[in-house]
Amino acid sequence: MSVQPDGPMLRSEDIHRHFEGMHAVDGVSLEVPRGQITGLIGPNGAGKSTFMAVVAGTLPASSGSILLEGEDITRLPAYTRARRGLVRTFQLPSEFARLTVLENLLVAAPHNRGDSLFGALMGRRYWMRDEERIVAEARALLKRFGMSAKESDYAGTMSGGQKRLIEIMRALMLHPRILLLDEPMSGVHPRVIEQIQYYLQVLRTEGLTILMVEHELHLVEELCDSVFVMAQGKLIGSGTMASLRRQREIVDAYLVG
Amino acid sequence: MSIFAAAFGFGLVSMSVIALAAVGFTMQFGITNMINLAYGQVMIASAYVAYYLNRAGVTIWAGMIAGAVFGAVFSFLLNRLVYAPFQRKNTSLLGMVIVSLAISLMIANVLLPIVGYFSVSYQEHGGSLVRIGDIVLTNNQIVIIVLSVAIMLGIHALLRYTRLGKAMRATAANPTLARNCGIPTQRVIDMVWLITGALCGVAGVVAALNSDSFAIANGAGFLITALAAAVVGGAGQPYGAMIGAVVIGLVTELSAAAWSPEYKEVVAFALLVLVMVLRPQGLLAKRGALAAAG
Amino acid sequence: MNTFYATNLLIYAGVDIIALLALNLQFGVSGIVNFSFIVFQSAGAYAAAVLSMPPDSNPDYSFQVYFGGFQLPFPLPWVGGALVGGLLAIPIGFVALRKLRSDYQAIALLVTSIIANEVINNARPFLNGAAGLALVPKPLQDQLDTQADYYPYLLIGLTAACVALVWFISARIVNSPYGRSLRAMRENELAATALGKNPVAMKMTIFVVGGTIAGLSGAILVGYLGVWAPSTWQYPETIILFAALIVGGRGNNLGAILGALLVPVGLEEVTRLMIRMNLGPPNLIPALEWVVIGLCILGFLWFRPEGVRPERRRVFEGSPDVELVESVRAT
Repeated sequence: MSVQPDGPMLRSEDIHRHFEGMHAVDGVSLEVPRGQITGLIGPNGAGKSTFMAVVAGTLPASSGSILLEGEDITRLPAYTRARRGLVRTFQLPSEFARLTVLENLLVAAPHNRGDSLFGALMGRRYWMRDEERIVAEARALLKRFGMSAKESDYAGTMSGGQKRLIEIMRALMLHPRILLLDEPMSGVHPRVIEQIQYYLQVLRTEGLTILMVEHELHLVEELCDSVFVMAQGKLIGSGTMASLRRQREIVDAYLVG
Repeated sequence: MSIFAAAFGFGLVSMSVIALAAVGFTMQFGITNMINLAYGQVMIASAYVAYYLNRAGVTIWAGMIAGAVFGAVFSFLLNRLVYAPFQRKNTSLLGMVIVSLAISLMIANVLLPIVGYFSVSYQEHGGSLVRIGDIVLTNNQIVIIVLSVAIMLGIHALLRYTRLGKAMRATAANPTLARNCGIPTQRVIDMVWLITGALCGVAGVVAALNSDSFAIANGAGFLITALAAAVVGGAGQPYGAMIGAVVIGLVTELSAAAWSPEYKEVVAFALLVLVMVLRPQGLLAKRGALAAAG
Repeated sequence: MNTFYATNLLIYAGVDIIALLALNLQFGVSGIVNFSFIVFQSAGAYAAAVLSMPPDSNPDYSFQVYFGGFQLPFPLPWVGGALVGGLLAIPIGFVALRKLRSDYQAIALLVTSIIANEVINNARPFLNGAAGLALVPKPLQDQLDTQADYYPYLLIGLTAACVALVWFISARIVNSPYGRSLRAMRENELAATALGKNPVAMKMTIFVVGGTIAGLSGAILVGYLGVWAPSTWQYPETIILFAALIVGGRGNNLGAILGALLVPVGLEEVTRLMIRMNLGPPNLIPALEWVVIGLCILGFLWFRPEGVRPERRRVFEGSPDVELVESVRAT
């Protein structure tokens, strides 16, 4: 259970996930290097989202293990993994619709004395200090991402791109060690794509590790330092986009670009 | 030993009755994603339709057909006028449960002033007794078993061999895909409610026939038994419901012989809880009660 | 308006408000569709009765068969009722609040309510079966004269004190970061889990808290009514409370109180009025009331699902939206 400060941020060892006779993930072993943006690509139905869900803990692995900085987290439930710094976002918009944008971020903040029954019953004075601190932190994030004006609007009324940004900001409130992004650019306006790209690059320079499932290959090329390719539940290649393009099987598996 | 043989016989009748109810209920859920909590009340209403005809001198078997027609029409209208509009409005799953609960209450309370609180029974004498070994059943009970088996075979044939049946299975698996493939899902759904409504009606009359007496208050019990059988077998699957009916029918009758007949529904409930705790997807695993994960 | 009528109205209003505040915590704030709510209120009532009554060997009580009979003085029966409500929530919550599809969960709880009623109804030695318990002592019956003029006011006062206490607890929960996490779980449980919230723990907690408050409401009611039988607590009673939340507005305490006043209290009063004024055959009116409740549910779900008083948007001090800073502290 020793944390390894060098070495990959995340490692999966022979992860299998089958359900109702189908092998959605069929023995995937990979390492996500720290401080980089790593892509996970592959044709539809390759099992990428399923793999992400297993890593995040949303789905249990049928066999295999997941190590976060050397620590085995395979048995841990999803919410514990989030508290340990492994945070995921979702492909479909997952904002808390009837909470305001600010509240969406506040929910994520981990160390709030008021976030328990005991704390709640103790009253405002007990948790006011923590609350003020995280409100300030959330507002700083909103400012950074240019959404300060929307602070008090219901998150459900935001546009698709804004919801994506909210989800990323929410994840950042947890001070994650690694961010799992499931198709963060899908269904989003091109200008917002540029924004997200910019922020992800900034986050990388700040040392955040990112594993990203993405379909738009040119985005993957621009953003990702290296890429894993999955098809039919298996890992069929890894490396830079340039080196992958040269491998016939990879190109064939994809059939496109 | 002979008590259990007799209980086994009753179990055969019981499972026949339950199967009729459970298959209809589970198909409504499987194909239209609607947990129709008003199902028990529609069963009771159909039973009363047959009752009034019976009082006017019509035989119970003709009354059963009338009950089936009533159930079909009522269920069809219920879906068209209430369930479908709410579903189109993207009402949450919980909202739909509340809607069907409200409908169930309304049906019961519209019927109450009309039919009254007290139990009634059919004027149909059971017919002569038939002995098979230690098992003793009345003629009527034999007819119920045969009828139920015939209808189950009919449902099987419908689902397996007819175009409508295939369309139903496609709609159950993936409604958007089905529609995109040119299946007239609206019409399929209408047919589902007509057919399952008819099943509901027949089940109501048969259940009432099999009991000494019935009243509006029995609606909840009918619902629980059908629900338990459906979930035990695997929610949304007709064959699952049949298996669930066998299990629930047998276990409740055997327990009634072993302990007390008053607690049949409690036993059904206990089986339901057991399945939900140990194997929530039901005996025939596929789609079921498990939360949609990721 | 005579004292009896006023007392009846006020105590029922108090009990309904307490019950609805509890249901709001479970359903409105946390999204738990507790269709077995009435079981918890009933458990509290039975517990308070059994704690305050003398044993059934007592000559005045021997026509009933029940367990217990500890003759405890006030306020122990009320405390006991609340505790039993909370304790009962543990096994029921353990089975029902697992990783089940939300509509299945709701139905499992509904079926629990139906079966619980049936079991108690049939098991005579436990809680006197279908006949239920009668001659339940009123609070402070041994110390005070329950027929005196001031006694009803005392009961109303005690009820009001409980309402204030429950309101205080609910407000603290709803307006805290914990309340916010509960609402987030209600909105999107998967996303909340991905942000480090433990949904099972949160749901169990609120289920137990709600159960405790429900138990208290039952204890108060049985102390006033003096009787409690299975016919008092059938599953449609829970539906009335849900209708109240849907009409009044869920997710906020004011909406819950409004719902309590409009539906269980309001409709009951209208029904009583109609019966007194002979506005129709007496056996038709209660049935009509249920039809109206059903129509209210359908109508509000269709036209105004958020209820008369919806959940308020929370704006924080220092927000760029200056005008809205006025409407800050949501209740």
